[in-house]
Amino acid sequence: MWLVSKGATLRYPPAADPDERRRRFEAIYTVNCGPILGYALRRTGNGDDAADVVAQTFLTAWRRLDDVPADEGARLWLYGVARRVLANHHRGQRRKSELAERLRLDLAVTYQEPEYTGQLVGLAAAFQSLTGADRELLALVAWEGLDHAEIASVLGCSRNAVRIRLHRARSRFAAALSRQHDQPRPALAPIANGDTQ
Amino acid sequence: MNDIDRVARLAVISDADAAGLISQSARADLADRITVLAAERPVPAAKSPRRSRRRWLIGTPLAAGLAAAVLVVTALGSPGDKVGPVPVGPVKAKALTFTRHGHYINVIVRNPLADPRKYRAEFKAHGLNVALKLLPVSPSIVGTVVYFGGAGTDAIKVITARGRCFTGGGGSACPVGLRVPVNFRGQADLVFGRAARPGEKYESTVSATAPGEVLHGLRIVGKRVSAVLKMLARRHVSAAKFHITTARGIGKLVSGSAVPGSWFVYSADPWAPGQVMLSVGRTRRPAPVPAPSSAPVPSRSSQPAPVPSRTSQPGPAGT
Repeated sequence: MWLVSKGATLRYPPAADPDERRRRFEAIYTVNCGPILGYALRRTGNGDDAADVVAQTFLTAWRRLDDVPADEGARLWLYGVARRVLANHHRGQRRKSELAERLRLDLAVTYQEPEYTGQLVGLAAAFQSLTGADRELLALVAWEGLDHAEIASVLGCSRNAVRIRLHRARSRFAAALSRQHDQPRPALAPIANGDTQ
Repeated sequence: MNDIDRVARLAVISDADAAGLISQSARADLADRITVLAAERPVPAAKSPRRSRRRWLIGTPLAAGLAAAVLVVTALGSPGDKVGPVPVGPVKAKALTFTRHGHYINVIVRNPLADPRKYRAEFKAHGLNVALKLLPVSPSIVGTVVYFGGAGTDAIKVITARGRCFTGGGGSACPVGLRVPVNFRGQADLVFGRAARPGEKYESTVSATAPGEVLHGLRIVGKRVSAVLKMLARRHVSAAKFHITTARGIGKLVSGSAVPGSWFVYSADPWAPGQVMLSVGRTRRPAPVPAPSSAPVPSRSSQPAPVPSRTSQPGPAGT
Protein backbone atom coordinates (compact mmCIF):
# COMPACT_ATOMS: atom_id res chain seq x y z
CA MET A 1 0.00 0.00 0.00
CA TRP A 2 1.38 3.35 -0.94
CA LEU A 3 0.61 6.23 1.24
CA VAL A 4 1.61 9.02 -1.01
CA SER A 5 0.34 9.76 -4.43
CA LYS A 6 1.79 12.13 -6.94
CA GLY A 7 -0.93 14.65 -6.36
CA ALA A 8 -0.44 14.80 -2.63
CA THR A 9 -0.13 18.11 -0.94
CA LEU A 10 3.36 19.52 -0.74
CA ARG A 11 4.69 22.61 0.90
CA TYR A 12 5.99 25.07 -1.56
CA PRO A 13 5.50 28.75 -2.02
CA PRO A 14 2.31 29.11 -3.97
CA ALA A 15 3.37 31.90 -6.27
CA ALA A 16 4.73 29.88 -9.15
CA ASP A 17 5.06 26.39 -10.49
CA PRO A 18 7.76 24.84 -8.26
CA ASP A 19 9.68 23.39 -11.19
CA GLU A 20 9.74 26.78 -12.77
CA ARG A 21 10.92 28.36 -9.53
CA ARG A 22 13.76 25.89 -9.28
CA ARG A 23 14.83 26.32 -12.86
CA ARG A 24 14.88 30.03 -12.37
CA PHE A 25 16.84 29.78 -9.14
CA GLU A 26 19.33 27.38 -10.67
CA ALA A 27 19.84 29.67 -13.63
CA ILE A 28 20.55 32.63 -11.36
CA TYR A 29 22.67 30.56 -8.99
CA THR A 30 24.81 28.95 -11.67
CA VAL A 31 25.69 32.22 -13.34
CA ASN A 32 26.23 34.26 -10.22
CA CYS A 33 27.80 31.89 -7.74
CA GLY A 34 31.36 32.81 -8.80
CA PRO A 35 30.82 36.56 -8.91
CA ILE A 36 29.10 36.62 -5.51
CA LEU A 37 31.85 34.50 -3.99
CA GLY A 38 34.39 36.85 -5.57
CA TYR A 39 32.51 39.84 -4.16
CA ALA A 40 32.52 38.30 -0.70
CA LEU A 41 36.16 37.18 -0.75
CA ARG A 42 37.37 40.56 -1.91
CA ARG A 43 35.62 42.17 1.03
CA THR A 44 36.20 39.68 3.80
CA GLY A 45 39.52 38.19 2.76
CA ASN A 46 38.32 35.15 4.64
CA GLY A 47 36.90 31.89 3.29
CA ASP A 48 34.61 31.16 6.24
CA ASP A 49 32.94 34.53 6.13
CA ALA A 50 32.72 34.55 2.35
CA ALA A 51 31.03 31.14 2.36
CA ASP A 52 28.43 32.43 4.79
CA VAL A 53 27.80 35.53 2.72
CA VAL A 54 27.29 33.46 -0.43
CA ALA A 55 24.92 31.08 1.33
CA GLN A 56 22.85 33.82 2.93
CA THR A 57 22.71 35.81 -0.28
CA PHE A 58 21.37 32.92 -2.32
CA LEU A 59 19.01 31.87 0.42
CA THR A 60 17.54 35.35 0.24
CA ALA A 61 17.36 35.06 -3.53
CA TRP A 62 15.45 31.79 -3.28
CA ARG A 63 13.04 33.14 -0.72
CA ARG A 64 12.45 36.33 -2.66
CA LEU A 65 12.75 34.84 -6.10
CA ASP A 66 9.86 36.90 -7.40
CA ASP A 67 11.78 40.07 -6.56
CA VAL A 68 14.95 39.09 -8.41
CA PRO A 69 15.16 41.01 -11.68
CA ALA A 70 15.72 39.15 -14.91
CA ASP A 71 19.03 38.85 -16.74
CA GLU A 72 21.78 41.31 -15.89
CA GLY A 73 19.74 42.92 -13.16
CA ALA A 74 19.95 39.74 -11.11
CA ARG A 75 23.63 40.20 -10.38
CA LEU A 76 23.16 43.78 -9.24
CA TRP A 77 20.28 42.69 -7.04
CA LEU A 78 22.47 39.96 -5.55
CA TYR A 79 25.29 42.44 -4.91
CA GLY A 80 22.78 44.54 -3.01
CA VAL A 81 21.74 41.57 -0.89
CA ALA A 82 25.34 40.48 -0.34
CA ARG A 83 26.21 43.98 0.80
CA ARG A 84 23.47 43.88 3.45
CA VAL A 85 24.45 40.38 4.50
CA LEU A 86 28.02 41.56 4.92
CA ALA A 87 26.92 44.56 6.93
CA ASN A 88 24.99 42.30 9.31
CA HIS A 89 27.92 39.95 9.39
CA HIS A 90 30.18 42.72 10.49
CA ARG A 91 27.71 43.84 13.10
CA GLY A 92 28.48 40.70 14.99
CA GLN A 93 25.92 38.33 13.59
CA ARG A 94 28.81 36.23 12.56
CA ARG A 95 27.56 32.72 12.47
CA LYS A 96 28.69 29.59 10.84
CA SER A 97 25.67 28.78 8.84
CA GLU A 98 24.98 25.10 8.24
CA LEU A 99 24.12 26.02 4.71
CA ALA A 100 27.65 27.01 3.91
CA GLU A 101 29.33 23.98 5.42
CA ARG A 102 30.54 22.43 2.18
CA LEU A 103 31.58 25.74 0.72
CA ARG A 104 33.63 26.43 3.82
CA LEU A 105 35.33 23.06 3.60
CA ASP A 106 36.25 23.65 -0.03
CA LEU A 107 37.53 27.14 0.62
CA ALA A 108 39.54 25.98 3.62
CA VAL A 109 41.57 23.94 1.17
CA THR A 110 41.62 26.11 -1.92
CA TYR A 111 41.63 29.68 -0.68
CA GLN A 112 44.66 31.33 0.75
CA GLU A 113 44.12 34.49 2.73
CA PRO A 114 45.73 37.48 1.08
CA GLU A 115 48.80 39.13 2.38
CA TYR A 116 49.80 42.48 0.99
CA THR A 117 53.40 43.24 0.36
CA GLY A 118 55.39 46.18 -0.95
CA GLN A 119 53.41 49.17 -2.13
CA LEU A 120 50.13 47.42 -1.54
CA VAL A 121 50.60 47.63 2.21
CA GLY A 122 50.31 51.39 2.23
CA LEU A 123 47.58 51.33 -0.38
CA ALA A 124 45.52 48.91 1.63
CA ALA A 125 46.03 50.92 4.81
CA ALA A 126 44.78 54.05 3.10
CA PHE A 127 41.78 52.21 1.72
CA GLN A 128 41.07 50.69 5.10
CA SER A 129 41.07 54.10 6.76
CA LEU A 130 37.99 55.11 4.74
CA THR A 131 34.44 54.60 5.93
CA GLY A 132 32.65 51.44 4.89
CA ALA A 133 30.40 53.41 2.55
CA ASP A 134 33.36 55.01 0.77
CA ARG A 135 35.14 51.71 0.44
CA GLU A 136 32.09 50.03 -1.00
CA LEU A 137 31.61 52.72 -3.62
CA LEU A 138 35.22 52.56 -4.73
CA ALA A 139 35.19 48.79 -4.69
CA LEU A 140 32.04 48.51 -6.78
CA VAL A 141 33.80 50.56 -9.44
CA ALA A 142 37.28 49.10 -9.17
CA TRP A 143 36.55 45.49 -8.26
CA GLU A 144 33.18 44.74 -9.78
CA GLY A 145 33.64 47.19 -12.64
CA LEU A 146 30.19 48.72 -12.27
CA ASP A 147 29.13 52.03 -13.77
CA HIS A 148 27.15 54.73 -11.99
CA ALA A 149 23.76 53.41 -13.02
CA GLU A 150 24.62 49.91 -11.88
CA ILE A 151 25.93 51.14 -8.55
CA ALA A 152 22.75 53.15 -8.09
CA SER A 153 20.84 49.93 -8.58
CA VAL A 154 22.97 48.05 -6.05
CA LEU A 155 22.80 50.78 -3.42
CA GLY A 156 19.22 51.78 -4.09
CA CYS A 157 19.93 55.43 -4.67
CA SER A 158 19.94 57.82 -7.62
CA ARG A 159 22.62 57.93 -10.25
CA ASN A 160 23.36 61.48 -9.33
CA ALA A 161 23.86 60.56 -5.71
CA VAL A 162 26.34 57.89 -6.80
CA ARG A 163 28.26 60.39 -8.87
CA ILE A 164 28.56 62.84 -6.00
CA ARG A 165 29.38 60.26 -3.34
CA LEU A 166 31.92 58.58 -5.55
CA HIS A 167 33.63 61.87 -6.24
CA ARG A 168 33.92 62.51 -2.51
CA ALA A 169 35.11 58.99 -1.80
CA ARG A 170 37.84 59.34 -4.38
CA SER A 171 38.95 62.64 -2.85
CA ARG A 172 39.08 61.11 0.61
CA PHE A 173 41.03 58.12 -0.71
CA ALA A 174 43.54 60.43 -2.37
CA ALA A 175 43.89 62.37 0.90
CA ALA A 176 44.39 59.15 2.85
CA LEU A 177 47.04 58.05 0.39
CA SER A 178 48.95 61.27 0.72
CA ARG A 179 48.76 60.96 4.51
CA GLN A 180 50.18 57.46 4.13
CA HIS A 181 53.31 58.87 2.61
CA ASP A 182 53.96 60.94 5.71
CA GLN A 183 53.43 58.10 8.16
CA PRO A 184 55.26 54.97 9.14
CA ARG A 185 53.66 51.94 7.51
CA PRO A 186 51.41 49.96 9.80
CA ALA A 187 51.41 46.22 9.66
CA LEU A 188 48.24 45.25 7.92
CA ALA A 189 45.67 42.63 8.47
CA PRO A 190 43.60 41.42 5.55
CA ILE A 191 41.71 44.05 3.78
CA ALA A 192 38.10 44.18 4.68
CA ASN A 193 35.06 46.07 3.79
CA GLY A 194 33.90 46.02 7.34
CA ASP A 195 35.61 45.95 10.65
CA THR A 196 37.28 42.60 10.48
CA GLN A 197 40.81 43.53 11.02
CA MET B 1 47.69 55.54 -12.15
CA ASN B 2 44.44 56.94 -10.85
CA ASP B 3 42.91 56.04 -7.54
CA ILE B 4 40.43 53.59 -9.04
CA ASP B 5 43.32 51.64 -10.54
CA ARG B 6 44.99 51.66 -7.15
CA VAL B 7 41.90 50.26 -5.50
CA ALA B 8 41.69 47.65 -8.25
CA ARG B 9 45.14 46.41 -7.26
CA LEU B 10 43.74 45.56 -3.85
CA ALA B 11 41.26 43.08 -5.26
CA VAL B 12 42.43 39.82 -3.80
CA ILE B 13 40.78 37.58 -6.32
CA SER B 14 38.88 37.72 -9.60
CA ASP B 15 35.41 36.32 -10.10
CA ALA B 16 36.76 33.63 -12.38
CA ASP B 17 39.35 32.53 -9.86
CA ALA B 18 36.77 32.60 -7.09
CA ALA B 19 34.49 30.35 -9.08
CA GLY B 20 37.34 27.89 -9.44
CA LEU B 21 37.75 27.57 -5.69
CA ILE B 22 34.59 25.60 -5.09
CA SER B 23 33.80 22.18 -6.43
CA GLN B 24 30.75 21.29 -8.43
CA SER B 25 29.51 19.14 -5.59
CA ALA B 26 29.84 21.94 -3.05
CA ARG B 27 27.83 24.19 -5.32
CA ALA B 28 25.15 21.59 -5.78
CA ASP B 29 25.13 20.96 -2.05
CA LEU B 30 24.47 24.59 -1.28
CA ALA B 31 21.61 24.70 -3.77
CA ASP B 32 20.19 21.59 -2.12
CA ARG B 33 20.37 23.05 1.32
CA ILE B 34 18.87 26.33 0.29
CA THR B 35 15.88 24.70 -1.32
CA VAL B 36 15.39 22.37 1.65
CA LEU B 37 15.22 25.31 4.00
CA ALA B 38 12.84 27.16 1.81
CA ALA B 39 10.55 24.16 1.65
CA GLU B 40 9.99 24.67 5.35
CA ARG B 41 8.29 27.94 4.75
CA PRO B 42 4.65 27.78 5.71
CA VAL B 43 2.25 28.33 2.89
CA PRO B 44 -1.40 29.23 3.02
CA ALA B 45 -2.77 26.98 0.32
CA ALA B 46 -0.78 24.22 -1.27
CA LYS B 47 -1.21 23.23 -4.86
CA SER B 48 -0.30 19.93 -6.38
CA PRO B 49 3.10 20.49 -7.88
CA ARG B 50 4.72 18.02 -10.19
CA ARG B 51 7.63 16.11 -8.95
CA SER B 52 10.92 17.54 -9.97
CA ARG B 53 13.50 15.53 -11.82
CA ARG B 54 16.22 18.08 -11.35
CA ARG B 55 19.31 16.49 -9.97
CA TRP B 56 20.01 19.09 -7.37
CA LEU B 57 16.60 19.06 -5.94
CA ILE B 58 15.63 15.50 -5.76
CA GLY B 59 16.37 13.67 -2.58
CA THR B 60 17.17 16.23 0.00
CA PRO B 61 13.96 18.18 -0.08
CA LEU B 62 11.83 15.13 0.11
CA ALA B 63 11.59 14.88 3.82
CA ALA B 64 10.62 18.46 4.23
CA GLY B 65 8.18 18.43 1.38
CA LEU B 66 6.69 15.13 2.27
CA ALA B 67 5.98 16.04 5.84
CA ALA B 68 2.73 17.50 4.72
CA ALA B 69 2.10 14.96 2.01
CA VAL B 70 2.47 11.81 4.02
CA LEU B 71 0.52 13.12 6.92
CA VAL B 72 -2.38 14.31 4.87
CA VAL B 73 -2.73 11.06 3.03
CA THR B 74 -2.49 8.86 6.08
CA ALA B 75 -5.04 11.00 7.81
CA LEU B 76 -7.69 10.83 5.18
CA GLY B 77 -10.56 8.45 5.59
CA SER B 78 -11.47 8.94 1.98
CA PRO B 79 -10.20 11.39 -0.57
CA GLY B 80 -11.65 14.78 -0.03
CA ASP B 81 -12.38 14.45 3.65
CA LYS B 82 -11.10 17.42 5.53
CA VAL B 83 -9.06 15.89 8.28
CA GLY B 84 -6.14 18.08 9.13
CA PRO B 85 -3.07 16.84 10.91
CA VAL B 86 -2.88 18.02 14.49
CA PRO B 87 0.58 18.88 15.74
CA VAL B 88 1.45 17.27 19.03
CA GLY B 89 3.11 19.55 21.54
CA PRO B 90 5.42 22.41 20.76
CA VAL B 91 7.21 21.73 17.50
CA LYS B 92 9.41 24.76 17.20
CA ALA B 93 12.71 23.01 16.65
CA LYS B 94 11.59 21.56 13.35
CA ALA B 95 14.19 18.85 13.01
CA LEU B 96 11.36 16.34 12.98
CA THR B 97 7.65 16.64 12.61
CA PHE B 98 5.50 14.78 15.10
CA THR B 99 1.89 14.54 14.12
CA ARG B 100 -0.69 12.63 16.05
CA HIS B 101 -3.40 10.60 14.37
CA GLY B 102 -5.52 8.68 16.83
CA HIS B 103 -3.30 6.08 18.41
CA TYR B 104 -0.29 6.88 16.30
CA ILE B 105 2.32 9.55 16.02
CA ASN B 106 3.81 10.03 12.58
CA VAL B 107 7.42 11.11 12.67
CA ILE B 108 8.94 12.60 9.54
CA VAL B 109 12.38 14.11 9.11
CA ARG B 110 11.79 17.70 8.38
CA ASN B 111 15.31 18.95 8.18
CA PRO B 112 17.84 16.24 7.37
CA LEU B 113 20.61 18.73 8.11
CA ALA B 114 19.75 19.40 11.74
CA ASP B 115 22.04 18.55 14.60
CA PRO B 116 21.39 14.93 15.72
CA ARG B 117 21.07 16.11 19.30
CA LYS B 118 18.03 18.04 18.20
CA TYR B 119 16.34 14.91 16.88
CA ARG B 120 17.08 12.99 20.05
CA ALA B 121 15.74 15.77 22.21
CA GLU B 122 12.57 15.91 20.17
CA PHE B 123 11.95 12.20 20.45
CA LYS B 124 12.52 12.42 24.16
CA ALA B 125 10.15 15.33 24.46
CA HIS B 126 7.46 13.12 22.98
CA GLY B 127 8.15 10.32 25.43
CA LEU B 128 9.60 8.07 22.74
CA ASN B 129 12.68 6.01 23.48
CA VAL B 130 14.37 6.23 20.12
CA ALA B 131 18.13 6.13 19.67
CA LEU B 132 18.90 7.98 16.51
CA LYS B 133 22.00 8.11 14.38
CA LEU B 134 22.78 9.92 11.20
CA LEU B 135 25.06 8.41 8.60
CA PRO B 136 26.44 9.91 5.41
CA VAL B 137 24.46 8.64 2.44
CA SER B 138 24.32 9.35 -1.27
CA PRO B 139 22.28 12.40 -2.25
CA SER B 140 18.98 10.84 -3.28
CA ILE B 141 18.43 9.16 0.08
CA VAL B 142 19.39 12.00 2.38
CA GLY B 143 16.63 12.34 4.92
CA THR B 144 15.35 8.82 4.47
CA VAL B 145 15.30 5.94 6.93
CA VAL B 146 18.44 3.88 6.34
CA TYR B 147 17.96 1.44 9.17
CA PHE B 148 15.29 0.77 11.72
CA GLY B 149 15.11 -1.88 14.43
CA GLY B 150 15.18 -2.51 18.16
CA ALA B 151 13.27 -4.20 20.93
CA GLY B 152 9.48 -4.23 20.87
CA THR B 153 9.30 -2.27 17.67
CA ASP B 154 6.93 -4.54 15.75
CA ALA B 155 4.13 -2.05 16.16
CA ILE B 156 6.15 0.70 14.48
CA LYS B 157 5.58 1.05 10.78
CA VAL B 158 7.85 2.70 8.29
CA ILE B 159 6.20 5.40 6.23
CA THR B 160 7.15 5.18 2.59
CA ALA B 161 6.80 7.58 -0.26
CA ARG B 162 6.69 5.88 -3.59
CA GLY B 163 9.04 7.25 -6.20
CA ARG B 164 10.73 9.77 -3.94
CA CYS B 165 13.86 7.71 -4.02
CA PHE B 166 14.84 4.44 -5.61
CA THR B 167 16.28 1.80 -3.37
CA GLY B 168 18.80 -0.82 -4.31
CA GLY B 169 16.37 -3.69 -4.69
CA GLY B 170 14.82 -1.83 -7.58
CA GLY B 171 11.93 -0.65 -5.45
CA SER B 172 10.52 2.81 -5.43
CA ALA B 173 9.21 2.64 -1.87
CA CYS B 174 11.23 5.33 -0.25
CA PRO B 175 11.22 5.18 3.56
CA VAL B 176 10.78 8.69 4.87
CA GLY B 177 9.40 8.38 8.36
CA LEU B 178 7.93 6.28 11.13
CA ARG B 179 4.46 5.64 12.43
CA VAL B 180 4.81 5.06 16.15
CA PRO B 181 1.99 3.93 18.46
CA VAL B 182 1.31 6.54 21.11
CA ASN B 183 1.81 3.95 23.84
CA PHE B 184 5.13 2.72 22.45
CA ARG B 185 7.36 1.85 25.38
CA GLY B 186 10.05 -0.18 23.61
CA GLN B 187 13.43 0.99 22.52
CA ALA B 188 13.97 1.71 18.86
CA ASP B 189 17.17 2.23 16.92
CA LEU B 190 16.83 4.48 13.99
CA VAL B 191 19.36 5.59 11.41
CA PHE B 192 18.62 8.42 9.05
CA GLY B 193 20.73 9.41 6.09
CA ARG B 194 22.49 12.75 6.10
CA ALA B 195 24.52 14.53 3.44
CA ALA B 196 28.16 13.50 3.28
CA ARG B 197 31.03 15.91 3.64
CA PRO B 198 33.58 16.21 0.85
CA GLY B 199 35.72 13.10 0.80
CA GLU B 200 33.52 11.31 3.30
CA LYS B 201 32.55 7.83 2.18
CA TYR B 202 28.86 7.02 1.93
CA GLU B 203 27.58 4.45 4.38
CA SER B 204 24.52 3.72 2.35
CA THR B 205 23.75 4.32 -1.29
CA VAL B 206 21.50 3.51 -4.18
CA SER B 207 22.63 3.08 -7.78
CA ALA B 208 24.69 6.00 -9.04
CA THR B 209 22.34 6.27 -12.02
CA ALA B 210 19.20 6.53 -9.88
CA PRO B 211 17.34 9.84 -9.98
CA GLY B 212 19.07 12.31 -7.73
CA GLU B 213 22.47 10.66 -8.00
CA VAL B 214 25.54 11.91 -9.84
CA LEU B 215 25.17 9.71 -12.91
CA HIS B 216 21.42 9.95 -13.33
CA GLY B 217 20.52 9.87 -16.98
CA LEU B 218 23.75 8.25 -18.16
CA ARG B 219 23.75 4.83 -19.80
CA ILE B 220 26.93 3.20 -18.70
CA VAL B 221 26.09 -0.48 -18.45
CA GLY B 222 27.89 -2.55 -21.07
CA LYS B 223 30.12 0.33 -22.15
CA ARG B 224 33.89 0.20 -22.03
CA VAL B 225 35.67 1.55 -18.95
CA SER B 226 37.55 4.15 -21.00
CA ALA B 227 34.31 5.51 -22.46
CA VAL B 228 32.58 5.59 -19.10
CA LEU B 229 35.48 7.42 -17.47
CA LYS B 230 35.10 10.13 -20.09
CA MET B 231 31.39 10.38 -19.34
CA LEU B 232 32.20 10.69 -15.65
CA ALA B 233 34.76 13.39 -16.27
CA ARG B 234 32.18 15.49 -18.07
CA ARG B 235 30.14 15.41 -14.87
CA HIS B 236 33.19 16.11 -12.73
CA VAL B 237 32.88 12.69 -11.19
CA SER B 238 35.79 10.34 -10.66
CA ALA B 239 35.98 6.58 -10.15
CA ALA B 240 37.40 6.08 -6.66
CA LYS B 241 37.37 2.29 -6.81
CA PHE B 242 36.68 -0.54 -9.19
CA HIS B 243 34.90 -3.68 -8.18
CA ILE B 244 36.13 -6.75 -10.02
CA THR B 245 35.46 -10.43 -9.67
CA THR B 246 38.51 -12.67 -9.55
CA ALA B 247 38.78 -16.00 -11.36
CA ARG B 248 37.56 -17.72 -8.21
CA GLY B 249 34.45 -15.62 -8.18
CA ILE B 250 35.51 -13.46 -5.28
CA GLY B 251 34.72 -9.77 -5.36
CA LYS B 252 37.59 -7.36 -4.87
CA LEU B 253 38.03 -3.61 -4.79
CA VAL B 254 40.95 -2.30 -6.81
CA SER B 255 42.24 1.06 -7.97
CA GLY B 256 41.98 2.35 -11.51
CA SER B 257 45.49 1.38 -12.53
CA ALA B 258 44.57 -2.30 -12.23
CA VAL B 259 41.71 -2.00 -14.71
CA PRO B 260 42.27 -1.89 -18.49
CA GLY B 261 40.24 0.73 -20.33
CA SER B 262 38.97 -1.95 -22.64
CA TRP B 263 37.01 -3.70 -19.89
CA PHE B 264 33.28 -3.26 -19.49
CA VAL B 265 31.19 -1.52 -16.88
CA TYR B 266 28.41 -3.45 -15.16
CA SER B 267 27.15 -0.92 -12.67
CA ALA B 268 28.09 2.20 -10.76
CA ASP B 269 27.54 3.03 -7.13
CA PRO B 270 28.11 6.29 -5.34
CA TRP B 271 31.27 6.14 -3.27
CA ALA B 272 31.74 9.62 -1.82
CA PRO B 273 30.73 13.09 -3.00
CA GLY B 274 31.94 13.39 -6.58
CA GLN B 275 33.15 9.80 -6.64
CA VAL B 276 31.68 6.50 -7.71
CA MET B 277 32.66 2.86 -7.61
CA LEU B 278 32.42 1.01 -10.91
CA SER B 279 31.76 -2.70 -11.13
CA VAL B 280 33.74 -3.90 -14.13
CA GLY B 281 34.88 -7.03 -15.89
CA ARG B 282 36.59 -8.44 -18.94
CA THR B 283 33.39 -9.45 -20.73
CA ARG B 284 30.57 -7.21 -21.89
CA ARG B 285 28.16 -8.91 -19.50
CA PRO B 286 29.05 -10.09 -16.03
CA ALA B 287 29.97 -13.77 -15.94
CA PRO B 288 27.37 -16.10 -14.44
CA VAL B 289 27.85 -16.63 -10.76
CA PRO B 290 29.66 -19.98 -10.51
CA ALA B 291 29.19 -21.06 -6.91
CA PRO B 292 25.66 -22.40 -6.28
CA SER B 293 24.92 -24.56 -9.28
CA SER B 294 21.29 -23.52 -9.36
CA ALA B 295 22.10 -19.85 -9.68
CA PRO B 296 20.27 -18.32 -12.62
CA VAL B 297 22.22 -16.99 -15.52
CA PRO B 298 22.00 -13.23 -15.42
CA SER B 299 19.58 -11.98 -17.96
CA ARG B 300 19.82 -8.66 -19.71
CA SER B 301 17.86 -6.92 -17.01
CA SER B 302 19.55 -8.42 -14.01
CA GLN B 303 22.67 -6.41 -13.65
CA PRO B 304 24.69 -7.10 -10.54
CA ALA B 305 22.94 -5.58 -7.60
CA PRO B 306 24.44 -2.32 -6.41
CA VAL B 307 26.96 -3.49 -3.92
CA PRO B 308 26.71 -1.29 -0.86
CA SER B 309 23.04 -0.79 -1.52
CA ARG B 310 21.30 0.18 1.68
CA THR B 311 23.64 -1.95 3.65
CA SER B 312 24.19 0.15 6.69
CA GLN B 313 24.69 -1.63 9.89
CA PRO B 314 22.91 -0.34 12.92
CA GLY B 315 26.04 0.10 14.93
CA PRO B 316 28.60 2.24 13.13
CA ALA B 317 29.55 5.56 14.51
CA GLY B 318 27.00 8.18 13.65
CA THR B 319 27.57 11.84 13.90
